[in-house]
Amino acid sequence: MLANWKLKEVVLMSLLAVVFGIIYLVFLHVGNIWSSLIGPIAYEWIFGVWFLVSIVAMAIIRKPGAAVIPEVMAAAIEVLLGNAVGPRLILTGLVQGLGAEAAFAVTRYRRFDLPVLILAGVLASVFSFGYGYLLGGFSALSPWYVLLMLGIRILSGAVIAGYGGGLLVNGLYATGSLRGYAIARQKRDARV
Amino acid sequence: MSTWLHRLNPSIKMLVTFVFIFALAFYFDPWTPLLMFGAVLVVQVLFSRIDWKRWLMLMLPFALGAVGYFWTTYVFGTAEDRLDTALSLSFRVFAFSSLSLLFVLTTSPMTFIMSLMQQLKLSPKLAYSLLVGYQFLPVLKEEFIQIRQVQQLRRPQHNQTTWSRLRSLPTVAIPLLAGAVRKAEKTAFAMEARGFTGSRERTYFHEVTWHRFDFYFAALLTLIFSLCLVVGAFL
Repeated sequence: MLANWKLKEVVLMSLLAVVFGIIYLVFLHVGNIWSSLIGPIAYEWIFGVWFLVSIVAMAIIRKPGAAVIPEVMAAAIEVLLGNAVGPRLILTGLVQGLGAEAAFAVTRYRRFDLPVLILAGVLASVFSFGYGYLLGGFSALSPWYVLLMLGIRILSGAVIAGYGGGLLVNGLYATGSLRGYAIARQKRDARV
Repeated sequence: MSTWLHRLNPSIKMLVTFVFIFALAFYFDPWTPLLMFGAVLVVQVLFSRIDWKRWLMLMLPFALGAVGYFWTTYVFGTAEDRLDTALSLSFRVFAFSSLSLLFVLTTSPMTFIMSLMQQLKLSPKLAYSLLVGYQFLPVLKEEFIQIRQVQQLRRPQHNQTTWSRLRSLPTVAIPLLAGAVRKAEKTAFAMEARGFTGSRERTYFHEVTWHRFDFYFAALLTLIFSLCLVVGAFL
């Protein structure tokens, strides 16, 4: 799978995973404190934050796997930093990453514009909700409450991960540091 | 730090915790997760030295989350015995956390990644990149503080509420990420210059193995879980 990857792309994924892994942990604690007041729905509106690395890494590297692998790596970094969600986070990361990856796979890794990034955020939300439904025991809650949670999560995935991730990538592109990656090559080719 | 739990193979330890976390997801009575929480904690006390301060610090945020779980399930639940289900879901948070802390507090990051590569066949390219990222953590943390301080110098009127700190995260993130991209390029060059190919046919300086203790551990947890089920069914 990684045969035609350059080492610098793999290391980049890992460093992105570290930066976002730290952000993820910060938001995990924000979510935990909130959730003691308003229950598990507290996580929903910030859920998009946890999909960011998939979208940022994929928009830069543009290769199959560039969404799911960094998400799993970010989860691994969170585990290495130590927190009480523990190794289970790696599975969470895998499910979320596969959701984002699905959006890019459907467009055959040819489009990386805003609508596709937003679709990736939405699919990551849907995938992760299915997983959360099982582990969180949401089946014990009334259906309208579960639907409300799902709705907020999809919105959060679309806005924070899709739109916000797009903004981050554009900001990063403007700094000129992405010159050696697929995003710069494809933008150059598009201009010629 | 070399207790019985520390010496277990990290990959096997991880897979075992996965199995029981998924097994617990199918139970909605309050006793099974509560007993599991207690039993796992006992295992950890018996077979390793717990740093209680760290344990409490890591547990506290999830204890808060469990409170939220309790009242949400109680208010919005559909089951007939809502109190039982609500208690069960909040004890589930505790049971999950104890299993996770059993792993987190007894596993060294380096051994964990080495074991992922040697036992679970994670690609060396990924594994060593992950180690690189892990090594960069303190550097990135320092840079994060530096960037924030510079931005505060430029905008001294910025008051430090939690909300404003969260809102300023994107303006801190872009320079931090740009620095990370440059570090990735330099590090990859350095690794290749030293002959790193990422091929699977390689030798390991740090070899991780597994022993019969790993099976004893899996068997012990299976026994504990079955006991929790039986006792939980009677209570």
